[in-house]
Amino acid sequence: MAVNLKRSSGEDAEGGRTSRRRMLGWLTGAGLFGSAGLSAVSNFVFIKPRATYGQPQRFSVGKPEDYPSGTRAILAPRGICIVREDSKLAAISITCTHLGCTVGAADTGFACPCHGSRFDQDGNVTGGPAPRPLPWFQVTLAPNGEIEVDKDIEVSPGSYLTL
Amino acid sequence: MSRPAAPKASFLASLLELPKNVWSSIFRNPLPSNDLERSATSFTNFFLHIHPVKVHKHSLRPAYTFGLGLISFFLFVILTVSGILLMFYYVPSTSQAYDRMLDLRGSVAFGTLLRNMHRWAAHGMVAVVFLHLCRVFLTGSYKKPREFNWVVGVILFLLTLFMSFTGYLLPWDQLAFWAITVGTAIAGYAPIIGKDIQFLLMGGTSVGQEALLRFYVLHVAVLPAILTLMIAIHFWRIRKDGGLSRPEDADPKVSLVAMENAVEVKASVLEPKKVYGFQGLVRGPLTKVGEIPDNTVYSWPNLFLAELFVFVITLSAILVLSLLFNAPLEEPVNALHPPNPAKAPWYFLGLQEMVSYSAFWGGIGVPGIFVLLLLVAPYLDRSPKGVGKWFSRDRLLANTIFITFVVANIIFVIIGTFFRGANWAFVTPW
Repeated sequence: MAVNLKRSSGEDAEGGRTSRRRMLGWLTGAGLFGSAGLSAVSNFVFIKPRATYGQPQRFSVGKPEDYPSGTRAILAPRGICIVREDSKLAAISITCTHLGCTVGAADTGFACPCHGSRFDQDGNVTGGPAPRPLPWFQVTLAPNGEIEVDKDIEVSPGSYLTL
Repeated sequence: MSRPAAPKASFLASLLELPKNVWSSIFRNPLPSNDLERSATSFTNFFLHIHPVKVHKHSLRPAYTFGLGLISFFLFVILTVSGILLMFYYVPSTSQAYDRMLDLRGSVAFGTLLRNMHRWAAHGMVAVVFLHLCRVFLTGSYKKPREFNWVVGVILFLLTLFMSFTGYLLPWDQLAFWAITVGTAIAGYAPIIGKDIQFLLMGGTSVGQEALLRFYVLHVAVLPAILTLMIAIHFWRIRKDGGLSRPEDADPKVSLVAMENAVEVKASVLEPKKVYGFQGLVRGPLTKVGEIPDNTVYSWPNLFLAELFVFVITLSAILVLSLLFNAPLEEPVNALHPPNPAKAPWYFLGLQEMVSYSAFWGGIGVPGIFVLLLLVAPYLDRSPKGVGKWFSRDRLLANTIFITFVVANIIFVIIGTFFRGANWAFVTPW
Protein backbone atom coordinates (compact mmCIF):
# COMPACT_ATOMS: atom_id res chain seq x y z
CA MET A 1 0.00 0.00 0.00
CA ALA A 2 1.83 2.97 -1.22
CA VAL A 3 1.09 6.11 -3.11
CA ASN A 4 3.37 7.39 -5.80
CA LEU A 5 3.53 11.15 -5.68
CA LYS A 6 4.78 11.46 -9.23
CA ARG A 7 2.01 12.53 -11.57
CA SER A 8 1.39 9.84 -14.13
CA SER A 9 -0.77 11.70 -16.60
CA GLY A 10 0.75 13.69 -19.38
CA GLU A 11 4.22 13.21 -20.73
CA ASP A 12 5.09 10.23 -22.82
CA ALA A 13 8.63 9.05 -23.46
CA GLU A 14 9.47 12.01 -25.71
CA GLY A 15 7.98 14.53 -23.28
CA GLY A 16 4.98 16.51 -24.48
CA ARG A 17 3.00 15.30 -27.51
CA THR A 18 0.00 14.03 -25.62
CA SER A 19 -2.67 15.24 -27.99
CA ARG A 20 -3.84 11.77 -29.04
CA ARG A 21 -4.15 10.56 -25.47
CA ARG A 22 -5.95 13.73 -24.49
CA MET A 23 -8.28 13.45 -27.44
CA LEU A 24 -9.17 9.86 -26.54
CA GLY A 25 -9.68 10.94 -22.94
CA TRP A 26 -12.06 13.68 -23.99
CA LEU A 27 -13.98 11.33 -26.27
CA THR A 28 -14.30 8.72 -23.51
CA GLY A 29 -15.52 11.35 -21.07
CA ALA A 30 -17.96 12.83 -23.54
CA GLY A 31 -19.29 9.36 -24.33
CA LEU A 32 -19.75 8.33 -20.72
CA PHE A 33 -21.21 11.58 -19.43
CA GLY A 34 -23.24 12.05 -22.59
CA SER A 35 -24.84 8.63 -22.18
CA ALA A 36 -25.49 9.34 -18.50
CA GLY A 37 -27.12 12.64 -19.41
CA LEU A 38 -29.23 11.06 -22.13
CA SER A 39 -30.36 8.31 -19.73
CA ALA A 40 -31.36 10.93 -17.19
CA VAL A 41 -33.32 12.87 -19.80
CA SER A 42 -35.00 9.70 -21.06
CA ASN A 43 -36.17 8.98 -17.50
CA PHE A 44 -38.02 12.28 -17.53
CA VAL A 45 -39.45 11.52 -20.97
CA PHE A 46 -40.66 8.22 -19.53
CA ILE A 47 -42.40 9.70 -16.51
CA LYS A 48 -44.05 12.44 -18.54
CA PRO A 49 -47.39 10.92 -19.49
CA ARG A 50 -48.45 11.10 -23.12
CA ALA A 51 -52.10 10.49 -22.38
CA THR A 52 -53.80 11.91 -19.34
CA TYR A 53 -57.09 11.03 -17.78
CA GLY A 54 -59.43 13.92 -17.20
CA GLN A 55 -62.90 15.19 -17.62
CA PRO A 56 -64.06 16.42 -21.01
CA GLN A 57 -63.51 20.13 -21.38
CA ARG A 58 -66.64 20.57 -23.50
CA PHE A 59 -69.91 19.53 -21.95
CA SER A 60 -73.60 20.24 -21.71
CA VAL A 61 -75.07 21.80 -18.59
CA GLY A 62 -78.79 21.45 -19.29
CA LYS A 63 -81.46 23.67 -20.77
CA PRO A 64 -81.74 27.44 -20.30
CA GLU A 65 -85.00 26.87 -18.38
CA ASP A 66 -82.98 25.22 -15.60
CA TYR A 67 -81.42 28.59 -14.83
CA PRO A 68 -84.10 31.23 -14.17
CA SER A 69 -83.09 34.87 -14.33
CA GLY A 70 -80.91 35.95 -11.43
CA THR A 71 -79.44 32.48 -10.95
CA ARG A 72 -75.83 32.05 -9.94
CA ALA A 73 -75.47 28.27 -9.96
CA ILE A 74 -72.12 26.81 -8.91
CA LEU A 75 -71.52 23.51 -10.71
CA ALA A 76 -68.64 22.30 -8.58
CA PRO A 77 -67.86 19.04 -10.46
CA ARG A 78 -67.48 21.08 -13.67
CA GLY A 79 -65.54 23.86 -11.99
CA ILE A 80 -67.82 26.61 -13.29
CA CYS A 81 -70.52 28.99 -12.14
CA ILE A 82 -73.49 29.54 -14.49
CA VAL A 83 -74.73 33.12 -14.33
CA ARG A 84 -78.14 34.02 -15.81
CA GLU A 85 -79.43 37.55 -16.01
CA ASP A 86 -82.64 38.02 -17.99
CA SER A 87 -81.81 36.61 -21.42
CA LYS A 88 -78.05 36.69 -20.90
CA LEU A 89 -76.08 33.63 -19.81
CA ALA A 90 -72.37 33.03 -19.03
CA ALA A 91 -70.03 30.48 -17.46
CA ILE A 92 -67.36 31.74 -15.05
CA SER A 93 -64.51 29.53 -13.79
CA ILE A 94 -64.50 28.80 -10.04
CA THR A 95 -60.87 27.62 -10.03
CA CYS A 96 -58.83 30.27 -8.25
CA THR A 97 -56.24 31.84 -10.54
CA HIS A 98 -53.84 32.02 -7.60
CA LEU A 99 -53.08 28.41 -6.67
CA GLY A 100 -55.97 26.36 -7.97
CA CYS A 101 -58.34 26.02 -5.01
CA THR A 102 -62.06 26.01 -5.66
CA VAL A 103 -63.58 29.39 -4.78
CA GLY A 104 -66.92 29.57 -3.03
CA ALA A 105 -69.82 31.99 -3.40
CA ALA A 106 -69.61 35.05 -1.18
CA ASP A 107 -71.87 38.05 -0.66
CA THR A 108 -69.81 40.17 -3.01
CA GLY A 109 -68.99 37.49 -5.56
CA PHE A 110 -66.44 34.74 -4.93
CA ALA A 111 -63.94 34.08 -2.13
CA CYS A 112 -61.10 31.55 -1.92
CA PRO A 113 -60.67 29.61 1.34
CA CYS A 114 -57.00 28.81 0.77
CA HIS A 115 -55.26 32.17 0.58
CA GLY A 116 -58.03 34.74 0.79
CA SER A 117 -58.39 35.89 -2.81
CA ARG A 118 -61.67 37.73 -3.39
CA PHE A 119 -63.51 38.32 -6.65
CA ASP A 120 -66.59 40.36 -7.57
CA GLN A 121 -69.70 38.98 -9.28
CA ASP A 122 -67.97 39.08 -12.67
CA GLY A 123 -64.81 37.38 -11.40
CA ASN A 124 -62.63 40.50 -11.23
CA VAL A 125 -60.04 40.46 -8.45
CA THR A 126 -61.06 42.69 -5.56
CA GLY A 127 -58.52 41.52 -3.00
CA GLY A 128 -55.96 38.92 -2.05
CA PRO A 129 -53.09 37.41 -4.02
CA ALA A 130 -54.92 36.26 -7.18
CA PRO A 131 -52.97 37.55 -10.20
CA ARG A 132 -55.78 37.37 -12.77
CA PRO A 133 -59.58 37.56 -12.84
CA LEU A 134 -61.57 34.32 -13.02
CA PRO A 135 -61.78 33.39 -16.72
CA TRP A 136 -65.08 33.23 -18.59
CA PHE A 137 -65.69 30.24 -20.86
CA GLN A 138 -67.43 30.09 -24.20
CA VAL A 139 -71.13 29.22 -23.92
CA THR A 140 -73.16 28.14 -26.95
CA LEU A 141 -76.65 26.83 -27.51
CA ALA A 142 -76.53 23.35 -29.07
CA PRO A 143 -79.12 22.38 -31.74
CA ASN A 144 -80.94 20.23 -29.19
CA GLY A 145 -81.56 23.33 -27.07
CA GLU A 146 -78.98 22.54 -24.39
CA ILE A 147 -76.32 24.92 -23.13
CA GLU A 148 -72.81 23.84 -24.06
CA VAL A 149 -69.72 25.09 -22.22
CA ASP A 150 -66.22 24.78 -23.67
CA LYS A 151 -63.54 25.25 -21.02
CA ASP A 152 -60.81 25.22 -23.66
CA ILE A 153 -62.05 28.53 -25.09
CA GLU A 154 -61.84 31.58 -22.87
CA VAL A 155 -63.90 34.62 -23.72
CA SER A 156 -63.47 38.15 -22.47
CA PRO A 157 -65.33 38.90 -19.22
CA GLY A 158 -68.73 40.37 -19.84
CA SER A 159 -69.41 38.50 -23.09
CA TYR A 160 -72.72 36.76 -22.49
CA LEU A 161 -74.66 34.32 -24.62
CA THR A 162 -77.93 36.04 -25.49
CA LEU A 163 -80.82 33.61 -25.59
CA MET B 1 4.02 -37.07 21.37
CA SER B 2 0.51 -37.03 22.67
CA ARG B 3 -2.10 -39.12 21.01
CA PRO B 4 -4.76 -37.17 19.13
CA ALA B 5 -8.05 -37.07 20.99
CA ALA B 6 -10.60 -39.63 20.01
CA PRO B 7 -12.77 -38.32 17.16
CA LYS B 8 -15.93 -38.73 19.22
CA ALA B 9 -14.56 -36.80 22.18
CA SER B 10 -13.29 -33.90 20.07
CA PHE B 11 -16.61 -33.68 18.25
CA LEU B 12 -18.43 -33.48 21.56
CA ALA B 13 -16.00 -30.86 22.77
CA SER B 14 -16.58 -28.66 19.73
CA LEU B 15 -20.32 -29.18 20.12
CA LEU B 16 -20.09 -27.91 23.67
CA GLU B 17 -18.03 -24.95 22.58
CA LEU B 18 -20.30 -24.15 19.65
CA PRO B 19 -22.22 -21.23 21.21
CA LYS B 20 -19.03 -19.64 22.46
CA ASN B 21 -17.28 -20.08 19.11
CA VAL B 22 -20.18 -18.67 17.13
CA TRP B 23 -20.32 -15.71 19.48
CA SER B 24 -16.62 -15.00 19.26
CA SER B 25 -16.68 -15.37 15.49
CA ILE B 26 -19.28 -12.61 15.30
CA PHE B 27 -17.86 -10.35 18.00
CA ARG B 28 -14.14 -10.58 17.59
CA ASN B 29 -13.38 -8.66 20.76
CA PRO B 30 -14.36 -9.30 24.33
CA LEU B 31 -16.18 -6.49 26.10
CA PRO B 32 -13.40 -3.94 26.34
CA SER B 33 -11.51 -3.63 29.55
CA ASN B 34 -8.48 -1.66 28.38
CA ASP B 35 -7.72 1.04 25.83
CA LEU B 36 -6.49 -1.37 23.19
CA GLU B 37 -9.71 -3.35 23.36
CA ARG B 38 -11.74 -0.15 23.36
CA SER B 39 -10.03 0.88 20.14
CA ALA B 40 -10.43 -2.56 18.61
CA THR B 41 -14.14 -2.69 19.45
CA SER B 42 -14.84 0.63 17.71
CA PHE B 43 -12.63 -0.35 14.83
CA THR B 44 -13.79 -3.88 14.01
CA ASN B 45 -17.53 -3.64 14.56
CA PHE B 46 -19.43 -2.81 11.37
CA PHE B 47 -21.95 -0.61 13.14
CA LEU B 48 -19.40 1.12 15.33
CA HIS B 49 -16.60 1.68 12.84
CA ILE B 50 -18.36 4.72 11.39
CA HIS B 51 -17.21 6.37 14.61
CA PRO B 52 -13.68 7.47 15.33
CA VAL B 53 -11.84 5.41 17.91
CA LYS B 54 -11.37 8.52 19.99
CA VAL B 55 -13.62 11.54 20.12
CA HIS B 56 -12.96 15.07 21.24
CA LYS B 57 -14.42 16.05 24.62
CA HIS B 58 -15.81 19.24 23.10
CA SER B 59 -17.92 17.19 20.65
CA LEU B 60 -19.53 15.36 23.56
CA ARG B 61 -20.77 18.52 25.28
CA PRO B 62 -24.58 18.32 25.31
CA ALA B 63 -24.94 22.10 25.26
CA TYR B 64 -22.81 22.38 22.12
CA THR B 65 -24.80 20.16 19.76
CA PHE B 66 -27.91 19.28 21.82
CA GLY B 67 -27.60 15.99 19.92
CA LEU B 68 -29.75 17.49 17.16
CA GLY B 69 -28.05 15.74 14.25
CA LEU B 70 -28.28 12.40 16.01
CA ILE B 71 -31.93 12.99 16.92
CA SER B 72 -32.64 13.77 13.24
CA PHE B 73 -30.98 10.51 12.24
CA PHE B 74 -32.80 8.44 14.87
CA LEU B 75 -36.11 10.00 13.81
CA PHE B 76 -35.25 9.00 10.25
CA VAL B 77 -34.67 5.43 11.45
CA ILE B 78 -38.00 5.43 13.33
CA LEU B 79 -39.69 6.83 10.21
CA THR B 80 -38.13 4.16 8.00
CA VAL B 81 -39.18 1.30 10.25
CA SER B 82 -42.71 2.57 10.91
CA GLY B 83 -43.07 3.56 7.26
CA ILE B 84 -42.14 0.12 5.97
CA LEU B 85 -44.62 -1.44 8.40
CA LEU B 86 -47.38 0.93 7.26
CA MET B 87 -46.67 -0.06 3.64
CA PHE B 88 -47.99 -3.55 4.44
CA TYR B 89 -51.50 -2.11 4.72
CA TYR B 90 -51.48 0.94 2.45
CA VAL B 91 -52.78 1.02 -1.13
CA PRO B 92 -52.01 4.12 -3.21
CA SER B 93 -55.42 4.26 -4.84
CA THR B 94 -57.90 7.11 -4.63
CA SER B 95 -60.70 4.67 -3.94
CA GLN B 96 -58.89 2.71 -1.23
CA ALA B 97 -56.34 4.95 0.48
CA TYR B 98 -58.73 6.65 2.89
CA ASP B 99 -60.43 3.37 3.83
CA ARG B 100 -57.00 1.94 4.57
CA MET B 101 -56.42 4.81 6.99
CA LEU B 102 -59.66 3.91 8.75
CA ASP B 103 -58.57 0.26 8.79
CA LEU B 104 -55.29 1.25 10.41
CA ARG B 105 -57.25 2.96 13.13
CA GLY B 106 -59.91 0.33 13.52
CA SER B 107 -58.77 -3.16 12.69
CA VAL B 108 -54.98 -3.34 12.48
CA ALA B 109 -53.07 -4.30 15.61
CA PHE B 110 -50.90 -1.33 16.63
CA GLY B 111 -52.12 0.42 13.47
CA THR B 112 -53.01 3.64 15.28
CA LEU B 113 -49.78 3.61 17.24
CA LEU B 114 -47.62 3.11 14.14
CA ARG B 115 -49.41 5.80 12.18
CA ASN B 116 -49.09 8.16 15.13
CA MET B 117 -45.39 7.38 15.45
CA HIS B 118 -44.85 7.94 11.74
CA ARG B 119 -46.71 11.26 11.83
CA TRP B 120 -45.11 12.66 14.98
CA ALA B 121 -41.65 11.49 14.02
CA ALA B 122 -42.12 13.23 10.66
CA HIS B 123 -43.13 16.49 12.34
CA GLY B 124 -40.26 16.04 14.77
CA MET B 125 -37.78 15.44 11.98
CA VAL B 126 -38.76 18.65 10.18
CA ALA B 127 -38.34 20.59 13.43
CA VAL B 128 -35.12 18.92 14.56
CA VAL B 129 -33.41 19.04 11.16
CA PHE B 130 -34.16 22.76 11.08
CA LEU B 131 -32.85 23.24 14.63
CA HIS B 132 -29.73 21.27 13.65
CA LEU B 133 -29.25 23.63 10.71
CA CYS B 134 -29.60 26.57 13.11
CA ARG B 135 -27.04 25.04 15.48
CA VAL B 136 -24.52 24.56 12.71
CA PHE B 137 -25.02 28.10 11.44
CA LEU B 138 -24.97 29.81 14.83
CA THR B 139 -21.77 28.02 15.85
CA GLY B 140 -20.11 28.92 12.54
CA SER B 141 -19.56 25.25 11.82
CA TYR B 142 -20.11 25.57 8.07
CA LYS B 143 -16.72 27.17 7.59
CA LYS B 144 -13.69 25.65 5.98
CA PRO B 145 -13.20 22.69 5.69
CA ARG B 146 -16.86 21.90 6.27
CA GLU B 147 -18.32 24.03 3.44
CA PHE B 148 -19.53 21.18 1.29
CA ASN B 149 -20.95 19.20 4.19
CA TRP B 150 -23.05 22.27 4.98
CA VAL B 151 -24.32 22.20 1.38
CA VAL B 152 -25.17 18.50 1.79
CA GLY B 153 -26.96 19.43 5.02
CA VAL B 154 -29.06 22.11 3.32
CA ILE B 155 -30.02 19.56 0.65
CA LEU B 156 -30.95 17.12 3.43
CA PHE B 157 -33.19 19.80 4.96
CA LEU B 158 -34.96 20.36 1.63
CA LEU B 159 -35.32 16.60 1.13
CA THR B 160 -36.84 16.31 4.61
CA LEU B 161 -39.43 18.96 3.72
CA PHE B 162 -40.17 17.23 0.42
CA MET B 163 -40.49 13.87 2.20
CA SER B 164 -43.09 15.27 4.58
CA PHE B 165 -44.89 17.04 1.74
CA THR B 166 -45.15 13.86 -0.37
CA GLY B 167 -46.18 11.96 2.77
CA TYR B 168 -49.24 13.92 3.64
CA LEU B 169 -50.94 13.38 0.29
CA LEU B 170 -51.09 9.66 0.98
CA PRO B 171 -54.07 9.48 3.42
CA TRP B 172 -56.13 11.08 0.63
CA ASP B 173 -58.06 13.24 3.04
CA GLN B 174 -59.06 16.87 2.59
CA LEU B 175 -55.74 18.23 3.86
CA ALA B 176 -53.91 15.93 1.45
CA PHE B 177 -55.87 16.88 -1.62
CA TRP B 178 -55.84 20.64 -1.17
CA ALA B 179 -52.26 20.81 0.05
CA ILE B 180 -51.10 18.99 -3.08
CA THR B 181 -53.33 21.12 -5.30
CA VAL B 182 -51.75 24.23 -3.82
CA GLY B 183 -48.22 22.80 -3.61
CA THR B 184 -48.09 21.72 -7.23
CA ALA B 185 -49.61 25.06 -8.27
CA ILE B 186 -46.76 26.83 -6.42
CA ALA B 187 -44.29 24.71 -8.40
CA GLY B 188 -46.11 25.92 -11.52
CA TYR B 189 -45.03 29.47 -10.72
CA ALA B 190 -41.32 28.60 -11.04
CA PRO B 191 -39.81 30.33 -14.05
CA ILE B 192 -39.45 28.46 -17.36
CA ILE B 193 -39.72 24.85 -16.11
CA GLY B 194 -42.50 25.46 -13.56
CA LYS B 195 -45.37 24.18 -15.67
CA ASP B 196 -43.42 21.08 -16.69
CA ILE B 197 -42.56 20.26 -13.08
CA GLN B 198 -46.21 20.71 -12.12
CA PHE B 199 -47.28 18.39 -14.93
CA LEU B 200 -44.66 15.77 -14.03
CA LEU B 201 -45.65 15.85 -10.34
CA MET B 202 -49.37 15.53 -11.02
CA GLY B 203 -49.00 13.11 -13.94
CA GLY B 204 -51.78 15.05 -15.62
CA THR B 205 -53.60 18.33 -15.48
CA SER B 206 -55.38 17.83 -12.17
CA VAL B 207 -54.69 16.12 -8.85
CA GLY B 208 -56.03 12.57 -9.00
CA GLN B 209 -54.99 8.94 -9.13
CA GLU B 210 -51.84 9.65 -11.13
CA ALA B 211 -50.69 12.27 -8.62
CA LEU B 212 -51.35 9.92 -5.68
CA LEU B 213 -49.30 7.15 -7.30
CA ARG B 214 -46.47 9.54 -8.16
CA PHE B 215 -46.27 11.01 -4.67
CA TYR B 216 -46.36 7.48 -3.24
CA VAL B 217 -43.40 6.36 -5.36
CA LEU B 218 -41.50 9.54 -4.46
CA HIS B 219 -42.30 9.08 -0.77
CA VAL B 220 -41.44 5.39 -0.34
CA ALA B 221 -38.68 4.87 -2.92
CA VAL B 222 -37.11 7.82 -4.69
CA LEU B 223 -36.72 10.28 -1.82
CA PRO B 224 -35.70 7.73 0.86
CA ALA B 225 -33.02 6.42 -1.50
CA ILE B 226 -31.64 9.91 -2.15
CA LEU B 227 -31.95 10.81 1.54
CA THR B 228 -30.09 7.67 2.62
CA LEU B 229 -27.29 8.37 0.16
CA MET B 230 -27.01 11.99 1.28
CA ILE B 231 -27.00 10.98 4.96
CA ALA B 232 -24.17 8.54 4.23
CA ILE B 233 -22.19 11.31 2.51
CA HIS B 234 -23.00 13.70 5.36
CA PHE B 235 -21.67 11.28 8.00
CA TRP B 236 -18.64 10.28 5.93
CA ARG B 237 -17.62 13.88 5.50
CA ILE B 238 -17.96 14.61 9.23
CA ARG B 239 -15.18 12.06 9.75
CA LYS B 240 -13.10 13.27 6.82
CA ASP B 241 -13.41 16.90 7.92
CA GLY B 242 -11.94 16.03 11.30
CA GLY B 243 -15.02 15.49 13.42
CA LEU B 244 -17.33 18.15 14.78
CA SER B 245 -16.24 21.75 14.71
CA ARG B 246 -14.63 23.12 17.83
CA PRO B 247 -12.97 26.35 18.85
CA GLU B 248 -9.22 26.67 18.50
CA ASP B 249 -8.71 26.81 22.24
CA ALA B 250 -10.36 23.40 22.70
CA ASP B 251 -7.03 21.76 22.00
CA PRO B 252 -3.96 22.16 24.17
CA LYS B 253 -1.25 24.22 22.52
CA VAL B 254 1.57 22.18 21.10
CA SER B 255 4.39 24.54 20.29
CA LEU B 256 6.77 23.38 17.65
CA VAL B 257 9.79 25.64 17.70
CA ALA B 258 11.27 26.04 14.27
CA MET B 259 14.99 25.84 13.86
CA GLU B 260 16.60 29.17 13.25
CA ASN B 261 17.88 28.45 9.80
CA ALA B 262 15.02 26.21 8.68
CA VAL B 263 13.66 26.64 5.17
CA GLU B 264 10.52 25.14 3.67
CA VAL B 265 11.18 22.52 1.01
CA LYS B 266 8.86 20.05 -0.61
CA ALA B 267 9.32 16.44 0.42
CA SER B 268 9.57 15.44 -3.22
CA VAL B 269 12.64 17.63 -3.58
CA LEU B 270 14.42 16.00 -0.69
CA GLU B 271 13.37 12.47 -1.46
CA PRO B 272 12.13 12.20 -5.04
CA LYS B 273 12.04 8.39 -4.98
CA LYS B 274 10.13 8.08 -1.74
CA VAL B 275 6.66 6.51 -1.76
CA TYR B 276 4.17 7.55 0.88
CA GLY B 277 1.66 5.36 2.74
CA PHE B 278 -2.05 6.06 2.61
CA GLN B 279 -1.87 7.43 6.15
CA GLY B 280 -0.15 10.44 4.64
CA LEU B 281 -3.37 11.35 2.83
CA VAL B 282 -5.61 11.54 5.89
CA ARG B 283 -6.59 15.10 6.61
CA GLY B 284 -7.26 16.73 9.91
CA PRO B 285 -6.17 15.96 13.44
CA LEU B 286 -7.00 12.27 13.30
CA THR B 287 -3.60 10.73 12.85
CA LYS B 288 -1.60 11.29 15.93
CA VAL B 289 1.79 9.86 16.54
CA GLY B 290 3.39 9.63 19.91
CA GLU B 291 2.28 11.32 23.06
CA ILE B 292 1.00 14.68 21.86
CA PRO B 293 -1.47 15.84 24.51
CA ASP B 294 -5.04 16.10 23.31
CA ASN B 295 -8.55 16.40 24.73
CA THR B 296 -9.94 13.18 23.32
CA VAL B 297 -11.57 10.27 25.05
CA TYR B 298 -12.34 6.77 23.81
CA SER B 299 -15.56 6.43 21.85
CA TRP B 300 -16.27 3.27 23.79
CA PRO B 301 -17.98 3.96 26.12
CA ASN B 302 -18.19 7.77 26.10
CA LEU B 303 -19.66 8.42 22.64
CA PHE B 304 -21.67 5.21 22.37
CA LEU B 305 -23.39 5.72 25.70
CA ALA B 306 -24.24 9.30 24.72
CA GLU B 307 -25.71 8.05 21.44
CA LEU B 308 -27.66 5.32 23.18
CA PHE B 309 -29.01 7.91 25.60
CA VAL B 310 -30.13 10.19 22.75
CA PHE B 311 -31.75 7.25 20.97
CA VAL B 312 -33.67 6.14 24.04
CA ILE B 313 -34.85 9.68 24.72
CA THR B 314 -35.91 10.17 21.08
CA LEU B 315 -37.80 6.89 20.86
CA SER B 316 -39.46 7.43 24.24
CA ALA B 317 -40.57 10.93 23.29
CA ILE B 318 -42.12 9.68 20.04
CA LEU B 319 -43.79 6.77 21.85
CA VAL B 320 -45.24 9.00 24.55
CA LEU B 321 -46.51 11.51 21.97
CA SER B 322 -48.03 8.69 19.93
CA LEU B 323 -49.79 7.23 22.93
CA LEU B 324 -51.15 10.60 24.01
CA PHE B 325 -52.11 12.19 20.70
CA ASN B 326 -53.69 10.64 17.63
CA ALA B 327 -52.48 11.73 14.20
CA PRO B 328 -55.22 13.81 12.64
CA LEU B 329 -57.23 12.49 9.72
CA GLU B 330 -59.56 14.91 8.02
CA GLU B 331 -62.68 14.22 6.02
CA PRO B 332 -62.23 12.10 2.88
CA VAL B 333 -61.30 14.03 -0.24
CA ASN B 334 -63.97 16.31 -1.57
CA ALA B 335 -62.49 17.68 -4.76
CA LEU B 336 -65.35 20.17 -5.00
CA HIS B 337 -65.03 21.98 -1.69
CA PRO B 338 -61.80 22.86 0.06
CA PRO B 339 -62.09 23.04 3.84
CA ASN B 340 -62.44 26.63 4.94
CA PRO B 341 -59.85 27.75 5.89
CA ALA B 342 -57.64 25.15 4.16
CA LYS B 343 -54.49 25.06 6.28
CA ALA B 344 -51.22 23.26 5.65
CA PRO B 345 -49.28 21.58 8.52
CA TRP B 346 -47.62 24.08 10.85
CA TYR B 347 -44.21 23.98 9.19
CA PHE B 348 -45.66 25.05 5.86
CA LEU B 349 -47.99 27.70 7.32
CA GLY B 350 -45.29 30.36 7.05
CA LEU B 351 -45.06 29.52 3.34
CA GLN B 352 -48.85 29.55 3.04
CA GLU B 353 -49.00 32.95 4.75
CA MET B 354 -46.37 34.24 2.33
CA VAL B 355 -48.12 32.92 -0.80
CA SER B 356 -51.29 34.63 0.42
CA TYR B 357 -49.48 37.85 -0.47
CA SER B 358 -47.92 36.73 -3.73
CA ALA B 359 -47.75 33.25 -5.23
CA PHE B 360 -44.43 33.79 -6.96
CA TRP B 361 -42.61 35.76 -4.29
CA GLY B 362 -44.06 33.86 -1.36
CA GLY B 363 -43.76 30.39 -2.85
CA ILE B 364 -40.73 30.60 -5.14
CA GLY B 365 -38.89 33.93 -4.84
CA VAL B 366 -38.32 34.43 -1.12
CA PRO B 367 -37.81 30.73 -0.24
CA GLY B 368 -35.53 30.40 -3.26
CA ILE B 369 -33.40 33.36 -2.17
CA PHE B 370 -33.25 31.98 1.38
CA VAL B 371 -32.10 28.55 0.18
CA LEU B 372 -29.59 30.13 -2.21
CA LEU B 373 -28.18 32.27 0.61
CA LEU B 374 -27.88 29.18 2.80
CA LEU B 375 -26.09 27.26 0.05
CA VAL B 376 -23.52 29.97 -0.69
CA ALA B 377 -23.04 31.13 2.93
CA PRO B 378 -19.81 29.15 3.50
CA TYR B 379 -18.35 30.45 0.21
CA LEU B 380 -19.15 34.10 0.95
CA ASP B 381 -18.29 34.06 4.66
CA ARG B 382 -14.64 32.99 4.51
CA SER B 383 -13.41 34.42 7.80
CA PRO B 384 -12.08 31.58 9.97
CA LYS B 385 -13.07 33.39 13.15
CA GLY B 386 -15.82 32.36 15.54
CA VAL B 387 -15.90 28.66 14.68
CA GLY B 388 -17.16 26.33 17.37
CA LYS B 389 -18.78 28.88 19.66
CA TRP B 390 -22.46 29.71 20.01
CA PHE B 391 -23.27 33.31 19.04
CA SER B 392 -19.63 34.27 18.65
CA ARG B 393 -19.11 38.03 18.60
CA ASP B 394 -16.98 37.60 15.50
CA ARG B 395 -20.05 36.39 13.65
CA LEU B 396 -22.47 39.09 14.72
CA LEU B 397 -23.45 40.12 11.17
CA ALA B 398 -23.96 36.60 9.75
CA ASN B 399 -25.85 35.42 12.82
CA THR B 400 -28.07 38.53 12.82
CA ILE B 401 -29.05 38.03 9.16
CA PHE B 402 -29.76 34.36 9.80
CA ILE B 403 -31.80 34.95 12.95
CA THR B 404 -33.79 37.67 11.16
CA PHE B 405 -34.84 35.17 8.48
CA VAL B 406 -35.69 32.54 11.10
CA VAL B 407 -37.71 34.93 13.26
CA ALA B 408 -39.54 36.26 10.20
CA ASN B 409 -40.55 32.72 9.26
CA ILE B 410 -41.65 31.97 12.82
CA ILE B 411 -43.80 35.13 12.80
CA PHE B 412 -45.38 34.05 9.50
CA VAL B 413 -46.05 30.58 10.96
CA ILE B 414 -47.69 32.14 14.03
CA ILE B 415 -49.84 34.45 11.90
CA GLY B 416 -50.85 31.55 9.65
CA THR B 417 -51.62 29.29 12.61
CA PHE B 418 -53.52 31.58 14.94
CA PHE B 419 -54.54 34.70 13.05
CA ARG B 420 -56.14 33.30 9.90
CA GLY B 421 -59.78 32.23 9.76
CA ALA B 422 -62.36 31.47 7.07
CA ASN B 423 -61.31 32.62 3.59
CA TRP B 424 -57.86 33.32 5.07
CA ALA B 425 -59.24 36.51 6.60
CA PHE B 426 -57.35 38.06 9.51
CA VAL B 427 -58.91 37.03 12.81
CA THR B 428 -57.84 37.43 16.39
CA PRO B 429 -57.63 34.16 18.32
CA TRP B 430 -59.12 35.65 21.49
